Amino acid sequence: MQESTFNELADLALRHSGQHFAPSKAYLMEARLSSISRRESFATLDDLVHCLKARPNQRFEQEVAAALTSKHTNFFKHRDVLDQIVNHALPSRLKLSKNGRLRVWCAGVASGQEAWSLAMLVNEQVGSALSNAEISIVGSDLSTDSIERAERGIYGHYEVQKGLSIHRLMTNFTRHSTGEWEINEGLRQSVSFRRHNLLHPAQDLGAFDVILCSNVLGGLAPQAKKDVLSTMTTQLLPNAFLFLGPDETAEGITDVVKPSREMRGAFVKRDKSLDAAVA
Amino acid sequence: MKRCLIVDDSRVVRIVAGRIVKDLSFTVSEAAHGAEALEICRKEMPDAILLDWNMPVMNGLDFLRALRREDHGKDPVVVFCTNENDAEHISEAIRAGANEYIMKPFDAEIVQSKFSGVGLV
Repeated sequence: MQESTFNELADLALRHSGQHFAPSKAYLMEARLSSISRRESFATLDDLVHCLKARPNQRFEQEVAAALTSKHTNFFKHRDVLDQIVNHALPSRLKLSKNGRLRVWCAGVASGQEAWSLAMLVNEQVGSALSNAEISIVGSDLSTDSIERAERGIYGHYEVQKGLSIHRLMTNFTRHSTGEWEINEGLRQSVSFRRHNLLHPAQDLGAFDVILCSNVLGGLAPQAKKDVLSTMTTQLLPNAFLFLGPDETAEGITDVVKPSREMRGAFVKRDKSLDAAVA
Repeated sequence: MKRCLIVDDSRVVRIVAGRIVKDLSFTVSEAAHGAEALEICRKEMPDAILLDWNMPVMNGLDFLRALRREDHGKDPVVVFCTNENDAEHISEAIRAGANEYIMKPFDAEIVQSKFSGVGLV
């Protein structure tokens, strides 16, 4: 890949998704674009960029930007975080809820495994306070392809064996004759997926009790981190919880949320009315 | 070090699985069928057993049922590792006392994930 091609693609990623690509990550770019480049019959990424410049096409640009984002995910990838959400964050929010309805946003969910994993854990809370709650989970991603995969809820031989126990596989999936496994209807009732760019406002997604966004902030440019956190915290209800990836933080980027005292790695939205009362 | 018994009539699978399990810090012993595996278990129960289904002499399911009737036979964590990938076989294995189930083909990441899920690593 020529240096000018790298620069064009890095600029495109920054504009569309806020992702920052250092020159040392050129190999990652090549890997993530190999599929789209092959599909469109480009011999090289230089040809792909040449085409983008010669015949500007907003939709194809968006597709390339989405392809540049990380798709790597597994079922129960961040098990500790999911446990915290189910054991602490949701029960805590339920105590404050007047109608027993709770909403969770899994932002940057790629092909949906994180949202489905959370739904499985919630369904397993038989006999706990959460079993009487109406919990809906919204998964979002920049990539249309990823969201379509997440909605289909059909996963391959290797995907269902990484992070997913055989008991959960048998409880929540049905095997197709092709060897693929499809999410059961019972789990689908609480989960929905939407295409959404985290750099854009998300009012139409509604307000949330918990937002989970893991392995997104780490790859973003500094301004994009601010913008994405602003998008998410705007949709967070007062005193509601934000969970990020293991090596990610909101500290030093926004003061709309503060680290939770009860849950390590979680952030809680400041209640402005309480802040004002203290002042 | 924890001990893992790999039971499979394919020498190639025993070698490949053995390498993966050694990388997870297990010592490895091998058996080519259920009867041989049962003899090994009677001498010294392993911590984990990676178990094929279709084998000569004694198949994996018969071995598992026999194992669970032995003294301390409920101690080892048994992970089936087989080409029998349909829901009926999986349910039968769980009813017989299997703790986990790997569908072939498999890779190191799957073995690690499954072993981790049942507390072996």
